[in-house]
Amino acid sequence: MPEALPTARRLTIFAAIVACFGLSMGTARGAELSLHGKAIYEKQCAMCHGENGVGVEDYFPDPLRGDLSISNLAEMIADTMPEDDPEACLGKDSLAVATYLHETFYRKPLPKSLRPQRVSLARLTKTQLRQSLADLYAYQGNTIPLAHAQGLKAMYFDGSKHKDGNLRIERVDAVLDFDFGHKGPGKKIDPQDFFIQWQGAIQADSTGPHEIVIRSSCAFVCYFGSYQRQFIDNHVQSGARTEFRRSLVLTAGRIYPLRIDFFQRKRKTEQPPAKISLSWKPPRGVEQIIPSRNLLKVEAPAAFSLQTHLPPDDRSYGYERGISVDRQWDESTTEAALEFAQVAADELWPLHQQKNRNKADRDRAQLRLFLSEIIATAFRGPLDEHDQKTYVDDPVDATEDDLEAILRSLLLTLKSPRFLYPGLDTDRSSSQRAASRLALTLFDSLPTDTWLFLQARGGELAEETQIRAAAERMLDDHRARNKVRELFHGWLNIENQIEITKNEEHFKDFNAELLADLRFSLETFIEEIVWSKSSDYRQLFLADWTLTTDRLANFYGDTWLPKAANTRGLQPSAGDPGKRFGVLTHPYLMSRMAYHTNTSPIHRGVFLTRYLLGRMLRPPQEAFAPIAAELHPDLTTRQRVVLQTGGRNCQVCHKRINGLGLTLENFDAVGRYRIVEREHPVDASGSYTTRDRKQIDFAGPEDLAELLAYGEDAHRTFIQRAFHHLVKQPVAAYGPDTMTYLLASFEQSNYNLRELFVEIAVIAASDSQKRVSNEQGDSDEK
Amino acid sequence: MRNRTTRRDFLAKAGISTAAAQLVWNLPSLTSAAATSRATKQRLVFVFSPNGIVPKQFWPETLGEEFELKRILQPLEKFKSQMMTLHGVCNQLQGDGDGHMRGIGCLLTGIELFPGDIQGGSDTPAGWSTGISIDQHLKNHLQADPATQTRFGSLEFGVMVPERADTWTRWSYAGPNQPIAPIDNPYKMFEKLYGKSKNRRLLVSVLDGLAEDFRKVEAVVSAEDRHLLSKHLQMIREVERDLQADLLAEEKTSSELGHAIPKLPANILKENDNIPQITRMQMDLLVNSFAADFTRIATFQITNSVGQPRMRWLEIEEGHHGLSHEPDTNEEAYEKLIKINTWYCEQVAYLAKRLDETPEPGGEGSMLDHTTIVWTNELGKGNSHTRNNIPFVLVGGGLGFKMGQSLDFGKVPHNRLLLSITQAMGFPEKTFGNPEFCTDGPLTGLV
Repeated sequence: MPEALPTARRLTIFAAIVACFGLSMGTARGAELSLHGKAIYEKQCAMCHGENGVGVEDYFPDPLRGDLSISNLAEMIADTMPEDDPEACLGKDSLAVATYLHETFYRKPLPKSLRPQRVSLARLTKTQLRQSLADLYAYQGNTIPLAHAQGLKAMYFDGSKHKDGNLRIERVDAVLDFDFGHKGPGKKIDPQDFFIQWQGAIQADSTGPHEIVIRSSCAFVCYFGSYQRQFIDNHVQSGARTEFRRSLVLTAGRIYPLRIDFFQRKRKTEQPPAKISLSWKPPRGVEQIIPSRNLLKVEAPAAFSLQTHLPPDDRSYGYERGISVDRQWDESTTEAALEFAQVAADELWPLHQQKNRNKADRDRAQLRLFLSEIIATAFRGPLDEHDQKTYVDDPVDATEDDLEAILRSLLLTLKSPRFLYPGLDTDRSSSQRAASRLALTLFDSLPTDTWLFLQARGGELAEETQIRAAAERMLDDHRARNKVRELFHGWLNIENQIEITKNEEHFKDFNAELLADLRFSLETFIEEIVWSKSSDYRQLFLADWTLTTDRLANFYGDTWLPKAANTRGLQPSAGDPGKRFGVLTHPYLMSRMAYHTNTSPIHRGVFLTRYLLGRMLRPPQEAFAPIAAELHPDLTTRQRVVLQTGGRNCQVCHKRINGLGLTLENFDAVGRYRIVEREHPVDASGSYTTRDRKQIDFAGPEDLAELLAYGEDAHRTFIQRAFHHLVKQPVAAYGPDTMTYLLASFEQSNYNLRELFVEIAVIAASDSQKRVSNEQGDSDEK
Repeated sequence: MRNRTTRRDFLAKAGISTAAAQLVWNLPSLTSAAATSRATKQRLVFVFSPNGIVPKQFWPETLGEEFELKRILQPLEKFKSQMMTLHGVCNQLQGDGDGHMRGIGCLLTGIELFPGDIQGGSDTPAGWSTGISIDQHLKNHLQADPATQTRFGSLEFGVMVPERADTWTRWSYAGPNQPIAPIDNPYKMFEKLYGKSKNRRLLVSVLDGLAEDFRKVEAVVSAEDRHLLSKHLQMIREVERDLQADLLAEEKTSSELGHAIPKLPANILKENDNIPQITRMQMDLLVNSFAADFTRIATFQITNSVGQPRMRWLEIEEGHHGLSHEPDTNEEAYEKLIKINTWYCEQVAYLAKRLDETPEPGGEGSMLDHTTIVWTNELGKGNSHTRNNIPFVLVGGGLGFKMGQSLDFGKVPHNRLLLSITQAMGFPEKTFGNPEFCTDGPLTGLV
């Protein structure tokens, strides 16, 4: 049950190599061997691995479970065990231990107490808390329909006022970077006296502090986060001041209203030429004009982005989980609650008052109504009498000051387990539970959309078909798109944007701009595949086209020219059959997993083994520096790697790593296709032994791409990652056959990614056990 | 030495309770800071009211100590011996900007405005001030010295300032092109001054409800899940215990320091008719901030240049600026302007009274003895837009000037008064603002 095991950190030594051949033997002999093995295990192994391989806290805490064949397991035991004296268990002894292990616990599910098999109660992770508060601000259910980013809506007026009759130009501006000089922006517009309004929204790619930079030679006012919230007020053009900066924390995937009013005012004195640009510096990024892919022309509702810093969550299972609480976390939730409550008092309460100004307000009925609406949203369902008293009436009655009542009530609400632990939902109706779990799975957030709210209230999410329909609908949402984007970042191990530099002599023009284009190309390629009609997972490895820009075509050559001539921006390239395989050979990945001048088959191999095929590897026994290429000027990279990793100990893992990594030797340190290295023809052959012990030989990258596109190991790995990322619970917690079921339905859907995400969301959101029966007799604890 | 820090001041500044202080008292750096400073505190607050005054009902006709108080200044009667009127001090700055803009923008800065695109009623358009204002200049000096450093250095109060950043709505500048927005919402000011403490109290008040909530949900989860919830609840109990201890220490410290957190009336909105109440609330917060030594410098801006408050509480329906343009022959308007300016003077008198009633913490006399209120205006007279004879009325002993007199300087640039003020605060300068207006140095006859 490898999917039940922790993946990222805990590397079970016994699973480190894969078997090539099964071993056949007679039953009697097997029994005898096993008995012998048991004796050895108890004497030499149990001290560290524990009785029945449950692990020993101080030595080897991980349960002794894995997927190696007997022969392979025996081989590894002979090579490496016991750790203090690997010579002490060889030959027949090691085979005996391997046999014993196989016949007893090695391939069996863990004892219940050791299995992370139940849906355990978890608090909101930091991402979930941040996203939930963003949606709580939008408790009235305003959401933005999915829209393509393409720039901001612009209106150009003659005269420095917004006057309908003076509107001269109406268009979409892809980016804000204008120098109108003394000539003005267009015909019939007085260059000395005009007004421009840009309106739309900004979508953030990542969470963290973003510095917004506006350079303007004229007066302007920038509204951000809401069309009423002044962000930078330069209503007065004064002296030579032209640069305005302000930072705030934005949340990945969220959309923030933006409006800029720009004035060139006629005056008696000398006028500066009119110029304006809108830039930003995203977290860990460089300052740049905000690209059109982050600008939307839509009208966006007011948004809230938490500024409070939240500490990181536990990732020991390979994905973020809210499974621990401490003072630092507690303090940050207090701070977050107060921040939200203050904004609710400052912005949401006046809005409510304004909207209900003609309604009765006896005994502060409006304040009570306002609070109950927000709290019901935070608690993912209606308030009962007790809740109404505790969260609304008591805080309101405690003070005559409305603002203090709001702070008190919302502080209590947002610190409450009812908000912080979404799993405490047993008293909710099944439709409400489904809505809340869907929102958590697909948005990391609360169910606030009006339609979802109404379906939950009306009991329309009780049936699986209804849940499925809701999940399908929810995928067409910015929040779901963002969560899926982050899934792919994790899968390809590109969550962190790192600086990649290359040997300038060999790779002239490989610079930060090129790298930004590459990342954009890879990210957009994935989105195109995922959100296309067929949403075919296999195309991620089989597509022979990519997305390109002029800069990329200049660097990578003619096969990177756009398919359609005379186009601008990111464009599909023509196909390059046999030389380009989707994400697998994308230069962004190839350059990341390469050295300054040379490739790194080991990085590539480890990545393929762990991330794409989901196999476990133990860390190297000690740190090795790669052999410098200069020491062996005649050797190819393959030859050098083979030379360095040829040792018996190394080969335990490197047999697998090299077999995969060397298959990509056609792609140099910046991902350019090559057939010759150092005057030798490139040898891109390799091999892989599957989980069910079939050896597959590769002639080159095409065979590897097919393995990843069609092979079960890759499917299983992707499904598991998707499940963990979306649900943040182990797959087996939803029944021991959940993985089998998902694998089968993935195949039936022609590897449709969208359908996979829907399937996962349905499993997470359903109460009913529609999945394969639970053989171990585990009861669902929830 | 100018400044003296008492042990209590020191405790307040360091933010430590007496109990905690017992523990840290032996640290050499702390003892020396508390023991070696020996001087009284000096505080300064600039109060702004707009649109000029009615000179005949404002300026005393008799100079010297035997001056009389005209109608507008009558509310200050009680403080006659602690006040000073300065006639003949003129804002002589030229350049871009209309009279109102230069009136307010050069008032505390003593320097011209930048060229810009904000067009007033006449003259050329302008931008922000090209220099720092005197309050911020003094703040920087005071904050640079540990002996005079305070939590905020300066506080910028406002009353009904429009939600519009332009030359007419700003008078305090951190530097060239750096106008400072006053806080005109008393609740926001309260938040700034006491937010942390308030939040701690709020948290304590909700923790009990929270614990009950935890017990309720614990009942419905499995034993394994209950473990996490119990841990969480236990942590909440610890937080509660620590907070209670903090609050106790805080209360002890603040009662020892002689100031408690003020209580504001609830639900007062930013509306014209609430101006009197907002002004009171802000002044009370100002007095509290001084008492707690959160700051020694403040500005207090009532509305803005060209401000249009409608003083319905005085039975005046028209906006102030509109009335200020009426000719002197319009008797009705004239009378209303006197009433309006008298109301502003009442506010200054209220502030003086509050300071006078409060004993100087850790010092001698009242807080008014250690504070000077500088009440001023962007214009000498509304209907002429003159910036000659800018109203300057000083109340209180913070600057150490010889009070209880009426002075006339003829026609001197107001930069010289700014020089006198910085000198009196212990930071003499050769120039402040435009050096052309500083050649004769600080004003004489003030001390």
